[in-house]
Amino acid sequence: MTRITLGLIALFALIAAACVAFGAYFSYVTLLNAHGEAIRARFALTAGQVAGTAELASSLGIALPAQSTLSAYLAREGSGARDIRSIDVADEKGAILFSSDPARVGRATAPDPAGGAVRSVEGPILNDLGEAIGRVRVRYDAAVLAAGARALREDLLPVAVPAAGGAFLATIAIGLLLAAGLRRAARDAATPARWPAAARSALAAVEEAHGRLAAPPPASQEDGR
Amino acid sequence: MIGLRGGISLSIALILCAALAVIGWGAGKAAERTIVPEVAAKAEVVAHSAAALVGRALKDGIPADRLVGVAAYFDGLRAENPELAEIRLVGAGGEMARSGAPPSGSPAPTVSAPVAGANDAAGGEVVITVDPGVVSRQVAGVLLDVAFIGIVSLLVALELVALVVGMGGIEALAAVERRVRALARGQLARHEAAGGARAEPLTAPFDREVAALAARHAAARDAAARRGDGAALDALDALSERTGIGRVEAAEGRAAGLVRPALFLFMLAEELTRPFLPRFAQTLAPADGLIGPGTAASLPIVAFMAVVALCQIPFAGLSERLGRRTGFLLGALLAAAGYLLSALAAHYGVFLAARVISATGYALVFVSAQGHVIDHAQGRARSSALAVFVRAIMVASLCGPPVGGVIADRLGAGTAFAVSAGFALLALLVAALTLPKGEGTRRAGSLSLADLGAAARTPRLMALLAGCAFPAKFLFAGLSFLLVPLELQQQGFSSAAIGRFQMIYPVIMVVGVPLFAALADRTHARDRFVMAGGLVAGLGALCVPLHPSLMLLVAALALLGLGQAMSIASQSALVADMAAQAPRGGGAGVLGLFRLIERSGNAAGPASAGLLMAGVGFAGASGLMGLLVVAGALLFALSGRGAAAGREAPGAERAAQSEGSPL
Repeated sequence: MTRITLGLIALFALIAAACVAFGAYFSYVTLLNAHGEAIRARFALTAGQVAGTAELASSLGIALPAQSTLSAYLAREGSGARDIRSIDVADEKGAILFSSDPARVGRATAPDPAGGAVRSVEGPILNDLGEAIGRVRVRYDAAVLAAGARALREDLLPVAVPAAGGAFLATIAIGLLLAAGLRRAARDAATPARWPAAARSALAAVEEAHGRLAAPPPASQEDGR
Repeated sequence: MIGLRGGISLSIALILCAALAVIGWGAGKAAERTIVPEVAAKAEVVAHSAAALVGRALKDGIPADRLVGVAAYFDGLRAENPELAEIRLVGAGGEMARSGAPPSGSPAPTVSAPVAGANDAAGGEVVITVDPGVVSRQVAGVLLDVAFIGIVSLLVALELVALVVGMGGIEALAAVERRVRALARGQLARHEAAGGARAEPLTAPFDREVAALAARHAAARDAAARRGDGAALDALDALSERTGIGRVEAAEGRAAGLVRPALFLFMLAEELTRPFLPRFAQTLAPADGLIGPGTAASLPIVAFMAVVALCQIPFAGLSERLGRRTGFLLGALLAAAGYLLSALAAHYGVFLAARVISATGYALVFVSAQGHVIDHAQGRARSSALAVFVRAIMVASLCGPPVGGVIADRLGAGTAFAVSAGFALLALLVAALTLPKGEGTRRAGSLSLADLGAAARTPRLMALLAGCAFPAKFLFAGLSFLLVPLELQQQGFSSAAIGRFQMIYPVIMVVGVPLFAALADRTHARDRFVMAGGLVAGLGALCVPLHPSLMLLVAALALLGLGQAMSIASQSALVADMAAQAPRGGGAGVLGLFRLIERSGNAAGPASAGLLMAGVGFAGASGLMGLLVVAGALLFALSGRGAAAGREAPGAERAAQSEGSPL
């Protein structure tokens, strides 16, 4: 019996700890997504602003390759925002026309390798008819994501590890208390004098009834009623 | 007296809530330190963008007090960025436009961007207040999902614990707990031997005490009978009724214990699909409009339930011929194939066919598992074993929907169906390892239509079946499986949240059925419990049209659970009584007819709900279905006028031992 109860307690303690660990991991992933989303949204807004400016110029009849003031604008935007590696404006074929990093002008836009040091968000530049005439691409430092992930881990681990450990130990402690109570109750069950009040009361009622009803009442008492 | 398993489960539920609350607090702090600055940086970009737009209008010569559409523009920005609680345009003369309101509670971060007016003069500023609680609320939602998954994992572990620590160990523990719990209730009944050598040192002394008491009681009763003392006999019987002395309590039985883990896993596979299946079916429905949305959602459920209902009787014989183990394995394999096909289905017809395949497997598994219990348990042990069997199904219906909802939300309905297939295959594996190999038999006495016809002539049976059994399942399947998921989905609830709503019914059933069954036994009022249960369940749904709201929907589900908990065990016990009193060989017909009509309710419910919803909407459909249940309960009550209701035959089935089928 001891082995069974200990096995059960260990199993339940593991479940409790696993659930807490699971909860901590899911919380971490949720925060990580929210952090990444906030960063991407910030750079997407920048991309949207650049696209809006280019679209305005385009609607005034200035073709995208001819929007030479974009270079200075991109340089200003790129230097003003932290973590931006470059802001590129490319034509519809993917050739970079303007960039906050002058060395990139003339290159073809290529997707940044997944998991690399640079991430990007991009958005289309549309003409008045809604057709894409180019793209804006904001390339940012992936280190900002890694730093956020590290900070979140540092904040959550000191809470999650003790919480999971506490759940494990608390389950074991309560399990042992309950098991001890069960064992004690099982031992007490062997001795009617140590039965719970309800059982003692039932036993007293049974014994009283058996004593009263098992034997026929004496004739004299019967007559006296 | 709470047992070891129950006590630890309750403790873990509390520990889990406390630990997850701590993690929620930690996540909030982490979000404040890491994410809120990023959100503020994003808000700053938005502020600059908005300020530039306003500045352009000022530079174009529009006076600041004549600007129009600024608040609407701010509303649009807030709709795109929910973490922006308030956006204001503030000029020299004060606030000029505003959208939203600052979050209540702790001070929120604020960012601002200056508006450059004509000739670059200061034209005011755009001020944005960030709501730092948005991320915390996302985390709280995740933790709620995790808390439910945690509690469900616990229930799953309780069902599968026999696989981990061994069947013998669990029997021993259950034997000890049963005796201790009986003593705490003042019950001195003897208990059937169970638990083997491991439990004996703890159970034998108690068993000897109550056996001695029972022997004295029998002797006292014999003595009273010999001398013809009717008053003493009545007093001794009343004592036996009150204290249980002389009665023998059945052990749960090995038969039910063996099939329980595999059956639970299998039932879990189907229950996973509850929260998302109607919506998934609607997404596959052909766009030509031939099938309306209500019918598209209900048809796969109706097909499933109809196949299960129609296959019950023929499959009972098939499972006998194949052998229970083979029947279970074959059924699980078929169902797994159906779930897999559902996961891959891109056309409505294919999905419908997949559901029919799953239903065929489901019916074969159900009758095989039930047959296994009936084959290996006799008398009171059979009722007790069937109650364990039913509890496994109930717990599966409690665990499946919230887990299925979370999987469907996060990984898609196709993946959730694939997980169902995995569970069905796991059930197959567990059944292959645990169920005993046995030869198929060919019994002559399979049920025929004539048997069912004869059973229908049993007094009061049809009133019970048509008035209570059919409407109960009709409302349950229509409301829980179709109307509630579709209505909640329409109100914008996720599948995970729908799964949590679908837990209301089984939670009340798991807690309420044993309580009401015991109460019905004690008061000898099973007829009244059946009728009252019907009224309670029906009135809940009947009230929905009065003021259609989430609160009333929850109340309808809760009252459905309460009503079913009141009636289901008493109803099964009444049917079992009627079967026992039927002429020779007619009992099987009564039980067969009961199951057939009950399951027809399961099929008719979603079908009618789908049609009614298209015609009168969710609230009207719920109300009409509730009305049918109330009318059925009243019909049953009227049928009992003049009949000797509530008086049980000697050896009558106890409601507490016949908990009925929740499905």
